[in-house]
Amino acid sequence: MSEKLRTIIVEDEELARNLMKSFLTGSEKIEIIAECENGFEGVKQINELKPDLVFLDIQMPKITGFELLELLDHKPQIIFATAYDQYAIKAFEYHAADYLLKPYSKERLLEAVDKVAERVAVEGSTSDVADKIVEHPKEEALERVVVKDRHKIHIIPVDNIRYIESMDDYVMIYTTEGRHMKQKTMRYFEGALDSKEYVRIHRSYIVKVSEINEIQQYEKESYIVILHDKTKLKVSKTGYKNLKKVLSF
Amino acid sequence: MEFRHPFLTNPRLAIYYGLFWLAASIIMVLIFTLANGVELYIALVEVFSFVIIYALIGSSIWYVIKFATLENNTIYRIVFAHLIAASIIVFTWMYLGVVMVKIFVPEVSEFMRKGAINRIFGGYMMYLIFVVFFYAVNYYQRFKEKLKNEGKLLSLVKEAELHALKSQINPHFLFNSLNSISSLTMSDPERAQEMVIDLSQLMRYSLKHDQKEKVLFKQELENNKLYLHIEKVRFGSKLNPVFEIDEKCLELEIPNMILQPLYENAIKYGVYEATEPIEIKTVAKCNQNVLQITISNPYDANVQAKKGEGIGLRNIRDRLQVIFGNPYLIKTEDNKKEFTVTLSIPQKQN
Repeated sequence: MSEKLRTIIVEDEELARNLMKSFLTGSEKIEIIAECENGFEGVKQINELKPDLVFLDIQMPKITGFELLELLDHKPQIIFATAYDQYAIKAFEYHAADYLLKPYSKERLLEAVDKVAERVAVEGSTSDVADKIVEHPKEEALERVVVKDRHKIHIIPVDNIRYIESMDDYVMIYTTEGRHMKQKTMRYFEGALDSKEYVRIHRSYIVKVSEINEIQQYEKESYIVILHDKTKLKVSKTGYKNLKKVLSF
Repeated sequence: MEFRHPFLTNPRLAIYYGLFWLAASIIMVLIFTLANGVELYIALVEVFSFVIIYALIGSSIWYVIKFATLENNTIYRIVFAHLIAASIIVFTWMYLGVVMVKIFVPEVSEFMRKGAINRIFGGYMMYLIFVVFFYAVNYYQRFKEKLKNEGKLLSLVKEAELHALKSQINPHFLFNSLNSISSLTMSDPERAQEMVIDLSQLMRYSLKHDQKEKVLFKQELENNKLYLHIEKVRFGSKLNPVFEIDEKCLELEIPNMILQPLYENAIKYGVYEATEPIEIKTVAKCNQNVLQITISNPYDANVQAKKGEGIGLRNIRDRLQVIFGNPYLIKTEDNKKEFTVTLSIPQKQN
């Protein structure tokens, strides 16, 4: 390999960053182009500098490593480095190149780097994490959603989501404060949101039950829901059954 | 279930039973001789052949009531079982009684024949009294056994609960600390050594006091300062612990390892999510009845959608419930900017 892997470290602890840097010094495969102390900075730097490889911590201030991945326009190879072993499966679902458990040895770190170098040689500099991570129902209940509008990152507590509308490859999330676009599928949200609070009423809509003011018959066997703010949403036949089940009427 | 006869398991009851029948026999002999004018010898034979034999046979009714328990059988089955048992016992008793009387006083057979119906009726009535008596004994025995078991169970449950609730040091804390040490060994070996020693001391404290319920506040506080000191190596200036401790509280008692989860939470929600320095403030006040400890930390309510009470706080609440029988000794306050936990630890009065 002639060129070095352009690398960014996203890690909130200084000591952990120092350790990683000192393990990587001397490796002819790595060139560290940036270090980030938190997820926000990480998103910004990765999208701007478009690195080949990112070392990523999971538990970080503001947003987690997984949430960071959802906000990337540029998808580099990812090596997770964390003290938590319970995210390993999830990490590989996100197509991580490797998963380092702290504390790790220099040998283990360089082994991970070799793996990435091989991958890059085969697949080209960027991985296709981009398309693959989108479809992935989470096993734990969703607590918040991160979205990016232009250059600003918003953290939306799940409670603030009023309803979700599908728009081709994206969804529009309507919150108490406004609306945000996100590259996720309806199926993802249907699986991730609490099914007692959110109902899929239509191919295009998931709505929060407590936002519903009224359910009206529209035509024969076709219904609409009217939300508290007078928004009207179509209800499909299956959607009506789902509503019936949740509201038990 | 206890099938053994209560007279065997509890000899005192057997002695009382014997004394009761002796007294009953003497009274009956007295009535026969004094009131009815029966000869003493005949009265003795009569009483011993019938009363004493009934007392002996009757003690076996215990097994009948154990067989026909009130809890596991229908009323018909119970009545049926007792009718059969009563008939067997009454006729065995009559037969033995008549044989005995005939051996000792052959000439009274005429008198015996006349009273036979009354005797059979009396036999059944006696059976009824025995049944009631044994059911009562059985009930009392099981009641006592239940009390004993419940007490044993309760202390077992308490022990198990305490063991489970005892806050363990979070393994991730350990791994992250070890990673920091790994880093320091290269950049600053002296600090690495210091951290290894702190960590060892903390581990030793948590292991040593695993069995003991309460320690001095002084010890608990020192241990938690150690914990915060280690975390400060990781978080640097972001973590800023402040203490306002009333000196006279230091000798009071507190359940061990009860503060550590609170600091862990304060770091998790306050320091971890922050990018600027966070002050974790500990205030301790006390009088002779109660030690009050308040731990507060600012946090960013926008970052986390916290739902309800975490497992750490619930564990402490449950532990206080087990130790002091009062779940309200821990109070939390959340003004969306600062999270405050207040513990009120009751003190034993001397």
